[in-house]
Amino acid sequence: MDSLLGSNPTLASNPAYSFSKAPYNSAADNKEHAFYPYTDNGGSTLGITGEDFCIIAGDTRSTSGYSINTRYSPKVFRIGGDDETGEGAHIILSVVGFAADGTALKERLNAIVKMYKYQHGKKISVKACAQRLATILYGKRFFPYYVTAILGGLDEDGKGALYSYDPVGSYEREQCRAAGAAASLIMPFLDNQVNYKNQYLPGTGEGHDLEPRQALPLPRHDVEQLVRDAFTSATERHIEVGDGLQMLVMTKNGIEELYHPLKRD
Amino acid sequence: MFIARSEYDRGINTFSPEGRLFQVEYSLEAIKLGSTAIGIATTHGVLLGVEKRVTSTLLETSSVEKIVEIDRHIGCAMSGLQADARSMIEHARVESQHHSFHYNERLGVESCTQAVCDLALKFGEGADGEESVMSRPFGVALLIAGIDEEGPQLYHAEPSGTFYRYDAKAIGSGSEGAQAELQNEFHKSLTLEEAETLVLKTLKQVMEEKLDSKNVQLASVTKEKGFRIYSDEEMSVVVERLPTN
Amino acid sequence: MPGFDFSNYNRNAALHAQGVPLPKATSTGTTIVGCIFDGGVVIAADTRATSGPIVADKNCEKLHYIAPRIWCAGAGTAADTEFTTAIISSNLELHALSTGRTPRVVTCMTMLKQHLFRYQGHIGAYLVVAGVDPTGVGLYTVHAHGSTDKLPYVTMGSGSLAAMSVFETQWKQGMTREEAVKLTSDAIQAGIFNDLGSGSNVDVCVITAEKAQLMRNYIKPNEREVKQRDYKFKRGTTAWLKEKVITREEISKYVTVHELSSEDDVVVVEKMDIDV
Repeated sequence: MDSLLGSNPTLASNPAYSFSKAPYNSAADNKEHAFYPYTDNGGSTLGITGEDFCIIAGDTRSTSGYSINTRYSPKVFRIGGDDETGEGAHIILSVVGFAADGTALKERLNAIVKMYKYQHGKKISVKACAQRLATILYGKRFFPYYVTAILGGLDEDGKGALYSYDPVGSYEREQCRAAGAAASLIMPFLDNQVNYKNQYLPGTGEGHDLEPRQALPLPRHDVEQLVRDAFTSATERHIEVGDGLQMLVMTKNGIEELYHPLKRD
Repeated sequence: MFIARSEYDRGINTFSPEGRLFQVEYSLEAIKLGSTAIGIATTHGVLLGVEKRVTSTLLETSSVEKIVEIDRHIGCAMSGLQADARSMIEHARVESQHHSFHYNERLGVESCTQAVCDLALKFGEGADGEESVMSRPFGVALLIAGIDEEGPQLYHAEPSGTFYRYDAKAIGSGSEGAQAELQNEFHKSLTLEEAETLVLKTLKQVMEEKLDSKNVQLASVTKEKGFRIYSDEEMSVVVERLPTN
Repeated sequence: MPGFDFSNYNRNAALHAQGVPLPKATSTGTTIVGCIFDGGVVIAADTRATSGPIVADKNCEKLHYIAPRIWCAGAGTAADTEFTTAIISSNLELHALSTGRTPRVVTCMTMLKQHLFRYQGHIGAYLVVAGVDPTGVGLYTVHAHGSTDKLPYVTMGSGSLAAMSVFETQWKQGMTREEAVKLTSDAIQAGIFNDLGSGSNVDVCVITAEKAQLMRNYIKPNEREVKQRDYKFKRGTTAWLKEKVITREEISKYVTVHELSSEDDVVVVEKMDIDV
């Protein structure tokens, strides 16, 4: 009997209680103190490639719960730059999720890309950098960087390259990808407007014979418009997205940064 | 040979007043005792050739391994203490695998050579007094041949930890004569087949034994086939081709 | 049988125990405030309704009618604020009819707290009750568990701290109507911009002894910008497998069909002219 009721000393020592929950002094109990190493800082990111360019964008809001930490905390970074400004970089990275992990990951990848140049006497390719990022993430398989990363640049043939990751390093080269809080809002839009999913060519047939609209690489101007519309729309319907839109555009001439204000409510 | 050079040749990481590290210098001498190895870089690929010293008629010549693979695109020939070469090659192989695992690309030939040379000076205790991995310098030199996006390349790595890139290089006991021959015969438009002949011709000149298809070994690194050790049949073909004298 | 129906309680508890998640109620994240001034009281609210991190309604109404000169701002579970205020409004009307007096704010507040207390906080309604009655101006907050406060300026909801910071720095005794409207709308805007649960527009309701005036979308500080692209699809873009045309004759079997002229073809989106 004692072992059965052992967890509650009042019950065990005083059988007069007929109900299962005897009053107990919570202060006397051992309190469980847990360490929560992660927080969600909200926000969203998005990457789209074209024939000879790559765009990665992210909103600049950082949140915790219902609060705004700051209205300008960039989520898209230059990797492999010559100095703090990122000048001379040839790779772009976006990280969304837990901001502290995002910063740590970006710093680490940046250091590794710099070391690669010193050690091998050449700039790292996007393909090699993509694989390295995967091993960095998997290296923390059991204490992950709580982020969704998107890596972009130009491949060996000068074509736009985009790689998307899960927090533990599974990755894939894609045409477009949305990540973060509003990913589920933006991704279907991209599927439809970039890869023309669920769009058919009018009058090409009936029922199953109808021909799907073929996706072609979009021109830069169109992609920039899609990115802006994706973010103004996500801002409308997701409370953690807003304040500003930061866009890094990578072309053979280098990286251009664009900023557009978003709604602040 | 063994002149009492003063007590500075005992500590392996102690400079002499003249600024020399005698143990490292002695290690270079060890290579001069080794069998001759030759490497030639052509625009089509790199060729490696070594002499196998067949010390006994009972020796199984195929067990003499002086050219080894580091990765699909890098190979190496050695001269000196072969046992020492094992640990250097192991290091190079690990480094190459490590690189392709982390970067999904092949390790550069220069980076591979650098990695091997980084190991060369890990004798003596470290800066923070940690136990050293090796008690003395390596007694072996390597000819590292490979191909990467920079094209076919040949490197010579020494126990001193220095390395240089060569168009053609000979190491080992017959290196002086062989290098002179290479100096005369090498030109930029050499084909791989011409290089095969040149390597064997040069080896033939400096070898004590009479050259045959059993006591020499060739290997090549080409863009198409990567690193490849010549089979017995291929060796016979090249040896047949040599001018008889 | 009036009141709530608990017949599914045991089934739902069993389902939940087996891992079926409970349905998520729409919460009015919300900033609501109230403030008295010389001769009346003003209440205000934002217009964002959320479901988790998703904006469920960009322009909802959180100011509820109770009686001709009593209005209520609601935060918490949207359904609870709507039904609770409707029930109390109904009962207060009956009470006014049977007593032959204009309903008092304190009566409304008391009915609300008794109703909410009975449900031990399970009805998630957090309210700001305001009005003018023969005893004067009334302004109260009512919490879901049944506790109430009577104060000259109040805030509630997730944006209450942001809004209160405005009151605590700018409120003063004996403000004019205009000053009070400015202060409350500023407080709501503090919530709109600093609290993620609040957003979109500012609704204001000013109540004096003469009348209650609802100013729906009094400030619209968050108009959406024009989209960069046109997303009109070419006709025939969507694939279909079967086509079926339902004629007017067929549908007339089930519903009444009216022919509309082009002049009638005006959709009334919202009818809001409550000057009681």
